[in-house]
Amino acid sequence: MSTSTGNDSDNASKEVQKPPIEPIRLPTVEEIRGQDIWNNCAVRSVFSGVMGGGLGLFMGLLLGSLDNPIMQDKMTGKEQFIYTAKQMGRRSWSSAKAFAVMGLVFSAAECVVEKARAKHDTTNTVVAGCATGGIMSAKGGPKAACAGCAGFAAFSVLIEKFLDRHN
Amino acid sequence: MAANSAPSALDKEQIFGMAEKEMEYRVELFNKLTHTCFNKCVENKYKESELNMGENSCIDRCVSKYWHVTNLIGQLLGSGRPPM
Repeated sequence: MSTSTGNDSDNASKEVQKPPIEPIRLPTVEEIRGQDIWNNCAVRSVFSGVMGGGLGLFMGLLLGSLDNPIMQDKMTGKEQFIYTAKQMGRRSWSSAKAFAVMGLVFSAAECVVEKARAKHDTTNTVVAGCATGGIMSAKGGPKAACAGCAGFAAFSVLIEKFLDRHN
Repeated sequence: MAANSAPSALDKEQIFGMAEKEMEYRVELFNKLTHTCFNKCVENKYKESELNMGENSCIDRCVSKYWHVTNLIGQLLGSGRPPM
């Protein structure tokens, strides 16, 4: 009995040392749905628009606080403060709107183009940048739209290369 | 089928053999499908762990086409018509 129990304990320890092989775990329906929300173009573009709005808010606050009022000796300190705060609020709101539109249009264009082409390329970024620049500069006429398209496309390609520089 | 109420041992073996063949066929189909669509759609240089949107839609289209073609060819072969 002692030799058989010795063998059994040897086999048991060998089996315990090997890690158990786990079966492949396919994702559940909830996991797939959760990942698919991020694949939806509308959700992505709205999220990018909100992020752009936040960024524009901060940038507007920064830039608005740097503008000094012209009449510094005619207003008291408190009035200067209120004036500067109002100017900061105005600047940040307009800049938030501009950046939100920029983020929304860029993300929507890139998402639609990438889904249609079924490829992950820099061409998607170029087309999306051109669309965004064109829409933002559309008020200045067709020439301004073309210039805005080319400029923003180049800018977004540079930003993308910069963000992927460690590859 | 009142005469064949209890399947004989030979029938059971046949059914089991057919099920095994069916299982092998399904596994082979799945492996070929995943390999083909992976080689077609996913780039060799891995920049991130998640599938980006372009790869997602490419894989969707690839699997859909593969499945349709497999069904179509299966139907054509199974209908027993003379080859065109």
